Amino acid sequence: MADVGTGLIAIGAGLAVGLTGLGAGMAEKDVGAAAVGAITENEALFGKAMIFMVLPETIVIFGLVIAIMAIFVM
Amino acid sequence: MSLPESMSRIVIVGTRSRMEDAIEAFYKLKALHLIDHTTGADGLSIGMPMSKNAKASERLLKVRAMEKELGIAKNAKTPKVPVDEIRSQINADSVENVENEIMSVLDRRNDLNQRITELNSKKKSLELLGPIPVDLDLYSGYKTITAIVGSVTEDPTDVLKTTGDIEYFVSFDKKEGGVVAVFSKNADRDKISAILADFGFTEISVPEGKGPVNEILAVTDEKLVDLNGQLESVGKEIEALQMKHQTFLKASDEQLSIEIEKGEVPLKVAVTEYSYIMDAWVPTEKVENVKNELESKLGNDIYVEFQETRGRKMEESEEVEDRYKKVPTKFNNGKITKEFQYPTKLVSVPKYQEIDPSVLIMIFLPLMFGFMVGDCGYAIPFIILGAYGLKTTHHKDWRAIATVLFFGGIWAFIFGFLFFGEALGMHFVTSDVTDTIWGGGVNVTWDMLLGVTFPEWFSGMLPFGHGVGKLHAVTLLLKLSVYVGIVHLMIGYLCGFYNKYIQHGFKEAFIEKGGWILSFIGMVILCFVLTQVMIVEDASIVIRGQQILIVTAIGFVMLIAGVIINFKREKAQAILELPGMVGNILSYTRLAAIGMSKAGMALAFNYIVFGMIISIQNGTPGILMLIIGILLFAFLHLVIWTLAILSGGLHALRLQFVELMTKFFEGNGTEFKPLKIKREKTILTTENINKEV
Repeated sequence: MADVGTGLIAIGAGLAVGLTGLGAGMAEKDVGAAAVGAITENEALFGKAMIFMVLPETIVIFGLVIAIMAIFVM
Repeated sequence: MSLPESMSRIVIVGTRSRMEDAIEAFYKLKALHLIDHTTGADGLSIGMPMSKNAKASERLLKVRAMEKELGIAKNAKTPKVPVDEIRSQINADSVENVENEIMSVLDRRNDLNQRITELNSKKKSLELLGPIPVDLDLYSGYKTITAIVGSVTEDPTDVLKTTGDIEYFVSFDKKEGGVVAVFSKNADRDKISAILADFGFTEISVPEGKGPVNEILAVTDEKLVDLNGQLESVGKEIEALQMKHQTFLKASDEQLSIEIEKGEVPLKVAVTEYSYIMDAWVPTEKVENVKNELESKLGNDIYVEFQETRGRKMEESEEVEDRYKKVPTKFNNGKITKEFQYPTKLVSVPKYQEIDPSVLIMIFLPLMFGFMVGDCGYAIPFIILGAYGLKTTHHKDWRAIATVLFFGGIWAFIFGFLFFGEALGMHFVTSDVTDTIWGGGVNVTWDMLLGVTFPEWFSGMLPFGHGVGKLHAVTLLLKLSVYVGIVHLMIGYLCGFYNKYIQHGFKEAFIEKGGWILSFIGMVILCFVLTQVMIVEDASIVIRGQQILIVTAIGFVMLIAGVIINFKREKAQAILELPGMVGNILSYTRLAAIGMSKAGMALAFNYIVFGMIISIQNGTPGILMLIIGILLFAFLHLVIWTLAILSGGLHALRLQFVELMTKFFEGNGTEFKPLKIKREKTILTTENINKEV
């Protein structure tokens, strides 16, 4: 039976990934809509649109790093 | 470093009477990037298209129309036709003759289609009128009586009964609606129409004819069958025509397009009454060759003069006339790197004065993809699919994907075999590491599954004797990702420095990019110190006590120095960007994270198959369970494999685009597009291969 501390760490890790995921999703929603609009007008913008599209993804990665550190390092 | 090829500008002057031969010679060289002449500046105007262009355009239009009408696919495979043959055919009015032949058949088809449509609508009206016992010729031909005929959605019988002075016929079915025919005095027509309007009345025009409706319907049906038969045979004729003329149409399409393209060259050059003058970019190493070739072919009718070899300094490009400012970028890449130009071009074509990132992408994109996949079992299908794609496909999008899959697959195999030591999410060698966090599941390994023991040297070759567990050695993988990130970013910064150095000189480069490099190194050192201070256990601590202070001081000084240098150009941005640097480095932890996520999925799927369905712990499984298990195993791993393409590929690409290329890449160049012809449907014969392209 795990103690309360371990449980809290698990919850913390889950929150870190989950909330950052939500955040990234909200950011990508707007960027994605705009990017698709831009690409329909000019297909050459695909590369640039993709750069903007994936920028918010990093937020989740940060969350994941925190979560991993919470589980493995703490 | 891979800069675009060095370019030189030349001027070509020639006699106008031999312009056509000259254009052939230009196309043969495949090295002239024309600089468009703009009318006005030097009092010279642009030329006119060749006189034969008008006729060729007209013919091309006809050919394209015929291709469309006959439904010849754009990429239809047809044999190559010798140029002489197709040209003499075109000159002998073959296009016009084929058009007449095809048009007469097409006209017949259109005619038939029209008649069938007419008959179909007649048939529809007749079917409606069928239930009313009135001969067709009795609906019309009266002086004082009018017939109102149409469909209704509700039954009007009751109302019509009470309306005086009319004769009516109603046939009504609750489900399908009905039809009504009312004969009234001419004067009452509007009144009746108004009454019927309440019952959803839609008037139909009664087809002409004599006799009972059903008889006429039968005749119409016969006609329709006959016409449809004719239409079918015309369709076959068209198909035959398509087969017959496909080769000719495709070849003449190409030949005419080429003739028109060549004929339009005078639109880009300056002409006088007796001569033409054109400017062009030529790869520097080909200048002599171009000069000799042209002079040997056209003798005294052409004069080529070398103007300049453009350097990479920005000032050089700023001093010159507007139309000479932008130098076309000719990629200077080997066979493999060429395949990686595609991702570069997705962002932008590099400028003439900067490093082409394709080489860096070639090195790092497959490497990172391979690291994220890191599994022999997924790597082999990647390699096979990639190799197959590279061999068969010519479409540039698919080729780019196939390239990444092939080289990424090779890296994935290397990492999977030598570093992670696993295939399909299972280690080759059973580990004796006690599983604390991911315990509970069955840790299946290949030697356990196959019942074999791998030789000593094999497990000796793998790190830890069994390979790096993606879900166990998390700290190691994270650290490794960060180190990869630091190296990758450093390369980006150095490329940026080099770009500025060749564009503006060392001083400018130092001010613009040197500051960033210094603060980046300072930041890395400070972060390193931070981890050293924070980590409690002893094993991984490298520096301690006094050393920490010294290293911190070095890092701090570099950081501050960098910020001060940057501050001159970037103002507050110099400070605001600092956390972004840490963000950039941490962004590379996705390398470990995606590997882990795939390993996690694989672990779960393997547990489902081997722990729950086949259940290897409880002795030999039943044959049915074995089959279900293997099918499920294949399907679930296919899911992971597909996801690996998406997540692995996209994230690896993103690290190049966002983290690496934003450090130095500016883009917005023009690609080098020499005058050249690519023949696919036509072929030059040995006699004319020296004369034209």
